[in-house]
Parts: sequence; structure tokens; C-alpha cells
Amino acid sequence: MSNVDIDLIIGGPQGGGIDSAAQIIIRSFSIAGYEAYGIREYHSNIKGRHSYFHVRIKDDLVRSLRYPVDVLACLDAETPFVHMNDITENTLVLFDQDLRNTKLAQVLTMEGETKKHIEERLVKEGCELTVNGALECMKRSGAKLVPVSFRDLVIKALGPNKPPARYANTLGASISMALMGLDSEFTRSGIESVFGKKKEVLEDNEKIVKVAYDFVEKNDGISVKKLGAKVTKERYILTGNEAIAIGKVIGGLKLQTYYPITPAADESFFLEGHDYFEEVIAGENESLSKSGVVIVQAEDEIAAIAMAISGAMTGARTATGTSGPGFSLMAEAIGYAGINEIPVVVSLYQRGGPSTGLPTRNSQADLLFAVHAGHGDFPKLVLSSGDVNEGIEDAVKAFNYAEMFQMPVIHILDKNFANSFYVIDGIDYSKMKIKRWKLHEKNDEEYERFKFTEDGISPMSFFGKDIMWLTGDEHNEFGHITEDPETRDKMMEKRMHKLEVAKNTIPMEDQAILFGEKDADVTLVSWGSNKGLLLDMLDKLKSEGVRANFLYIRLMAPFPSEFVLNVLKNSKLIIDVESNYTGQLAQLIEQNCGFRIDNYLLKYNGRHQTLDETYDGIKSIMKGESKRVVLRNGA
Amino acid sequence: MEHNYRTDLWVDWCPGCGDFGILGALQQSLAELGEKPENIVVASGIGCSAKTPHYVNVSGIHTLHGRGIPFATGIKLANPNMTVILDAGDGDMLSIGAGHFVAAGRRNIDMTIIIHNNGVYGLTKGQSSPTMPRGMKTKGLQRPNIYDSLNPVNLALSVGYTFVARAFAFDIKGSKDIITRAIKHKGTAVVDMLQPCPTYNEINTKEWYEKRVYYLNKDPTWDPVVKVPEPEEAEKKYKQAVDKSLEWEEKIPLGVFYQNEQVPSYEERIRNNFPTYFTDSPSLSRICNDDGTPVARMERIFADRLIRK
Ligand SMILES: Cc1ncc(C[n+]2csc(CCOP(=O)(O)OP(=O)(O)O)c2C)c(N)n1
Ligand code: SF4
Ligand SMILES: [Mg+2]
Repeated sequence: MSNVDIDLIIGGPQGGGIDSAAQIIIRSFSIAGYEAYGIREYHSNIKGRHSYFHVRIKDDLVRSLRYPVDVLACLDAETPFVHMNDITENTLVLFDQDLRNTKLAQVLTMEGETKKHIEERLVKEGCELTVNGALECMKRSGAKLVPVSFRDLVIKALGPNKPPARYANTLGASISMALMGLDSEFTRSGIESVFGKKKEVLEDNEKIVKVAYDFVEKNDGISVKKLGAKVTKERYILTGNEAIAIGKVIGGLKLQTYYPITPAADESFFLEGHDYFEEVIAGENESLSKSGVVIVQAEDEIAAIAMAISGAMTGARTATGTSGPGFSLMAEAIGYAGINEIPVVVSLYQRGGPSTGLPTRNSQADLLFAVHAGHGDFPKLVLSSGDVNEGIEDAVKAFNYAEMFQMPVIHILDKNFANSFYVIDGIDYSKMKIKRWKLHEKNDEEYERFKFTEDGISPMSFFGKDIMWLTGDEHNEFGHITEDPETRDKMMEKRMHKLEVAKNTIPMEDQAILFGEKDADVTLVSWGSNKGLLLDMLDKLKSEGVRANFLYIRLMAPFPSEFVLNVLKNSKLIIDVESNYTGQLAQLIEQNCGFRIDNYLLKYNGRHQTLDETYDGIKSIMKGESKRVVLRNGA
Repeated sequence: MEHNYRTDLWVDWCPGCGDFGILGALQQSLAELGEKPENIVVASGIGCSAKTPHYVNVSGIHTLHGRGIPFATGIKLANPNMTVILDAGDGDMLSIGAGHFVAAGRRNIDMTIIIHNNGVYGLTKGQSSPTMPRGMKTKGLQRPNIYDSLNPVNLALSVGYTFVARAFAFDIKGSKDIITRAIKHKGTAVVDMLQPCPTYNEINTKEWYEKRVYYLNKDPTWDPVVKVPEPEEAEKKYKQAVDKSLEWEEKIPLGVFYQNEQVPSYEERIRNNFPTYFTDSPSLSRICNDDGTPVARMERIFADRLIRK
């Protein structure tokens, strides 16, 4: 059991510094040697609407979040209303006392439906329709209120000439960390690492931290348990977006194209900031050489995928990144990459659909679409990752597989992954070997791009090396159009055979993994960013004496049917856990294995899934109360 | 031995199709330029005209309807030293691909776009293309066309193309000269290639055009080239080109309307941030050591993500 295990939510208006507050908190704890994991939740809006950061701090491995939280820091009047249900006995609720009397009706940034639900709750509890009412409600559940005047404290720290609103996030984060018992030294380091070391900034923040810690110390109502000292560490703090960008660059990305879309664009934006750099060339003496990545904002997603495809045929490792709406536009071109056997990588970040859906919220509802994207039969690989380490490694492998098997690779990810902060020590290069295509070595006039071979994989060449033709029409070995029925059959069989080759070549642990006990009473089946949550769930179930295991699937196409069927055939109670309405992974399993899963734990409100609700859902299914549980946590 | 720019495929266009002239002009131009054939790619979208790459003995990429521009662009992005020529149908380029046509004007990648302007969608049996005037009724239409036409030269000028010309498919020598100039141009060159389609457009025939076309440079004072990097000079040449672009019907000008090499190409703009772009282009760049270890290292490139006290 870990001694330190704290969940915190800090909430405020979008554009009001919640992102910096999130960075400050996770960095401070990371520097102090603690483990941390957090997710950003936000509206499709630039300024004003509610956003929050949910983070969990532990002194050992942390992979999931929980409700209720231990600390709720409210930087505005909306937060106490919206997160009223996220607290429990002893939750510390930090709030701005100058906003106590704000009426629910005055919170203009809140959506009407949300207001209505909150009003119903307040009326039911007999609380007034104000911030005070919401606080009262929380107090009745046992929460401890920590009133503070952000204004007064900022003035106390910095004098009357600085706008208090601008410092609310730093102050709120600092008080939260003081409440959590983190030594102020680490809070200062965290802030410094976010805002830099400019003298004036440093001085201001120093003063903010001081008033924050003084405030908590002198507050008789709260007793803080100081966190013990740990070994401070240098570590990477990465979001999922950044992990994919890093993996791609390590994997040899040379051209990335994109059209802006949440939650994919942050990856390309991050790449734009790291597009010219030093590489390490091995040799007797390691030497450095300068190189770069071309990052292109295309006019739309069709252009983005088209540029990436032809760039790949010009010999560069190329990729694009998008989410559902953009991926829909790419479907035709993905088929083109399929029939032309082109190694292109698409990082597909799922978000809530259909259509624009929930543009900034989580979803795993594009799995079947990714697997089936494009008209006609053609080979493609669909690879899924569940956390940053896997994300970085898979970004490299996606390129390797694309080139080895000469087919498009869809690297399927999701918003929760993209916007989670993970703390990692470093990466293991031994898992990141680059493997390229089988190259056409000769330089001759008669290169056949689509030469028939035993394994279906033709020697590769690229524009600038040999003369060749590509066409989206069915073609002969040279790449010229043909409708000859016999050639059509042979070409179709050549292409599709590569899927068998891929399946036999890709290591089993990259296809599917069974975590936990072999012989279990409950088998959880899931994929993607649910990985960490379900691994934590296994530990929790085990600690209660429940024998459970977790079938984690990574390769969606071609599908590891034998492995999956073998696990499921020998399982007792099987529960499919996914962030979608229709249980898409279960459908894919049925399609490939002919095996039907009967129990479902599903979530489609777009909010991150938490350990508590997952636990309750599993218990309910185990008791036979329900076969389909919908998880509804999250503001 | 001299490279033969023809492939030995049977060319499957209708007899009398203007595409034959364009193909001949392109092959002659490539022969004249004499670049290494493996460094040339002819790209296309979908349509009758889009089969062109298969008939030219350099690399070819026959892509998706309307998407020739981004496919052509990807080749240049990966290797800026390639020569890329895009043959596009007028429907392909100016209807389904119009968004790319506008974007490409703003990029100015060093490549050439030849629009096969036949007024119709050939391969889908004669529907009206964006260059067919309103009220015109060709064989393939049930009723007269109720769309207004657009003017490719004028559109190209307005979205920033730095080389805009018009040619006529059946003047092979004239077209060859214009294509050659277009390929040599630094930046994106657009050639509005008037292309009779005897099968579906019985109005704008070879003879119809022959009666009307004339070359701009018959007038010795015609000078479309922006010679100095001054806004006044560019504006003067641009306005003169726009003016000329409006001429149609009685007399149809051919030749170069506008050329401005003072505008940096997209590749040059990339090079500003990526100094080794031309010499160590994405396609040639080393990505791993002999044992497969990557040359790009997180500690070096992403050190800013390392959080320390
Ligand atoms: C996405 C898509 N929509 C429609 C088509 C059908 N299609 C094939 S060719 C063509 C029109 C070709 O006209 P144009 O581009 O003017 O070329 P032309 O045949 O006249 O040379 C169309 C609509 C297609 N191939 N792809
Ligand atoms: S239909 Fe028209 S454009 Fe197509 S090949 Fe025949 S003549 Fe040429
Ligand atoms: Mg046409």
C-alpha cells in the first residue's frame, strides 16, 4: 500500500490558466520524486467555459484516476457547482470567498442543461442557488471548506498594481499543494520550470508561494499532513500527443502533414517546435549531424494524407495526424495507399463522434471505422497504444511495419491518451530498432514496383531512384492499368497475403497481452488508454481476493484471432470495457473469432473513466445485476 | 543512347482527342530539357487526361480525382530536387480539386500544372466542367448548362500563381515551348491547355480554336515577366495579365500571361528554418545507424521536456 495517494481537481475558466496550473502541479510533484498522472478536460471553446485538471499523486506507480477527489480547488464560481458530486467526507474544497454569493443564474459560462441538473440537486437538498448553496451541499457530505480571497492574497503578495485574476492559477495551485503537504521548495521549482527564470517572474511567484503556504499554515481549521521527502528525480513529463511526436522523430519521421483538429493538432504543433536538430551518428567516434523534419499544415485532411503518401513514395518516412472528422476525409486516399502498397502512417486520435460530436472529449468509437476505412478490400495495419511508453515505441514500430509490409498503418489513439500527462524516467532504445523495407538494390530500366514474390512483398524503390508507375486503378507489375481478370486475382491475392505475413512477423506482445492470472474468475477485455486503469483494477481486485485478468488487445488489423479466442474460450466471466456505445472491440472479436462477449462496461459521455466507477460496474456484473453497465462519471 | 520518353502502351484516347497533342508536347519538352528521367515524375488525378503519366517514360503517379496537387506536392516536399509535372483535367482541377488549386497558388512549390481544358468531364461521358459557359449545350448534356464558367487564367492569377500561361493542344510546338518555360520556372507554373474533346464537346473544336487563338508575344512589346523585386513592377505586370485574361470569344490569347520569380518558392521558405533541406532532403536523409539504432535521440531533441529542479 502506498502512503501517499491523493486525487485533486483544479477547475476554472478555459483560457484562465488551468493548463499552467496543471503543469505546475504535476511538475512540482514529479520533481519531488512522486508519481503523478493527470488528464485535462475542457470544452470546445477558447475562453470562458469550464475546464479542469484531474490528477492523482502517489508514491508508487499511478495509472488511473478516482472519484471522489481529496482536494477540489475552485478558481471560479462555476467549479463548485459543477464538481459538487465529486467530493466526499474530508475532501478539502478550496474556493474564492469573494464569489460566495454568486448565483447559479449568474454563471453565464455554464450550459443551460448543466444548470438545470445542478438546480435540481440544490433544490432537492434544500440549498440556495448560489455558490454558498453548492458549498453547503458539499459540507453536508463532509467536505471541509477552505475559503480564501484570491484577490486579497494576490494584493498581499504583489501589491495593488497586479491584476489578481492573472495570478489566480498559480495561487490556487500553490495553496492546493500546500494543502496536500508538499514542501514549498518543490512548488517553487515546479512554478519555475513552467514560467522560466526571468527575474521579475521569479520574484512574483516566490511571493505568491509564500502567501499561499503562510495562508495554509496559519489556517487553524486545516491540519496538513506533510509529505515525506523522497529522492528528487529528473524525469520527462509528456502528454500522449508529445509521446507520439517523439516516437515519430526517433522512428525517422521526415515529413509530417496535418490539418488542425483537436485532439491531434497538439502533436504537430509540438513537432513544429522541434523540427531542426542534432542527430547522433554512430561510428568510431560518435558524431553529430544536423537534420530536420518538414511539417506542413495542409489545406485539408485529404491533402494531408495525399502529401504523406507521395512523400513516402519518394523515400521519406511520412505521417499525418488527425481525428474522426479528418479521418473520414482520408478514407479514399487510404485505399490508394493500400492498392499502391505505400508505407504511410496515420495517427488517429479518437474523440467523441459522430460528426463534430464532442470535439474535445474522449471516445473509442472509431475502431471499426479505422479497421474498415476505405472502399474495397486492401491490407492495412491498425495498431493501438495505451500509454506513453507504448506510444513512443509504437510510433517507431508503425513506421517499421508500414515499410516492412508496404501498407498504410493506422495508429489508433484517443483523446484521453492525447491529453494525459505521464511522468516517465526515459526510454528504452533497445526496443526501438529501425527496420526498413526490402529495397530494390539494382538500378535498371525494368523496375517492377509490384513484382510478384512469394511473400507478396515486392522490392521497394522510390521516386528519384527508379522509374515506376503508381495508379489507383488495378495494375500490372509495372504499375500500369490492367483489368485483366487473372492479373486482378493475382494482385489482390498478393496484397492480401501480406496481412498473413504481417501477423506471423509481428511479435505476439505487440498484438495482444493477457495480464494477470491465467486462471481467473473475471476477464476484462479492453484496449487503448483504458490500459492503465484496468491494470490498476487488476491490483485492486487482487487485493480483495478476486482472481482477475485483463486481455489487452493492441493489433486490431490483422486481428490476433487465435490468441484472443484461446483466452476467451478459457475464461469464465468476460467483461468488455470500452469508451463507446456499441462495444466495438467486442464486435471485432466476434467478427474475427466467432466468439460473443455478453457483458459490457461502456462509457460514452466523453469524460475520462475512473477506477471507482469501473470497480462498481465490475461488481455489479459479477453479482449478476446487469449485463450492460454504462459509466457516467465526470463533469 | 537517348532516352525514349514514350512508353510502349497503346494510348486509349478517342481519335482526334486534344490530349494526344498535349502528350506529344510534354514528351518533346522533357526530351529537350534532358533531365535524368528517374528524377522526373508526371502526376495526375482521374479523368481521360489523367492517364497521361502511363504514356510518358518517366515515373508516373496516377492518383485520385481532384487530388493531383497534394500528391504532386508530397513528392516535392520529400525531395525538393525532383521535377514534378501534374496533368489535370479541368473538372479534376477546378471542381473537385479547386480547394487544392487555390492552396497551391499560395504555396508556390516548384512544379508545373497543366490543365487539360476541354469544357467537359470526358471520362464520365460529357457532363459540363467548370470552364463550360452557361447556356452551352454539348452532345453529352440533356439541357443547356446552367452553371457560369470560371476563367482558369484569371483564377490562377488571383490566387497567387507565379507563372500563368495558356496553350493550345494542337499547336504542339508552341505548347512544347510553353511547357518547357513552365517547367524551368522557379515556383508553381499553371498552363491552361485548351484541349478539344471531339467526342463530347462538338462546339469548342480544333477548328473553332484555330480561328481564334493568337500568341501574346506576336506583340513585341508584350512583357509578362516581373524582373525586379519591387511591388510596383509586380503590380504593373499583374494588372496587365489580369486585363489580358479577360479576352475570350473573338480572340483568345496564348502564351505567358505572367511570370514572377521574385516570390520565394515554398521549398525556399522551408529552407529558412531547415538550412540543410536541399542537400539532406527528407527522402535522402539517414534515419538510423547500420545496426538500426535511431539517429534521433529524445535526450537531444526533446530535452525541454526533461523536468528537473
Ligand atoms: C471521388 C470521385 N468522384 C467521381 C469520380 C468519377 N469521375 C471520373 S473522371 C471524372 C471527371 C473527369 O473530368 P475531367 O477532370 O475534366 O477530366 P477529363 O476526363 O475531361 O480529362 C469523374 C467525375 C471519381 N473517379 N472519383
Ligand atoms: S472523351 Fe474527350 S477527352 Fe476523353 S479521350 Fe475522348 S476525346 Fe479525349
Ligand atoms: Mg475535362
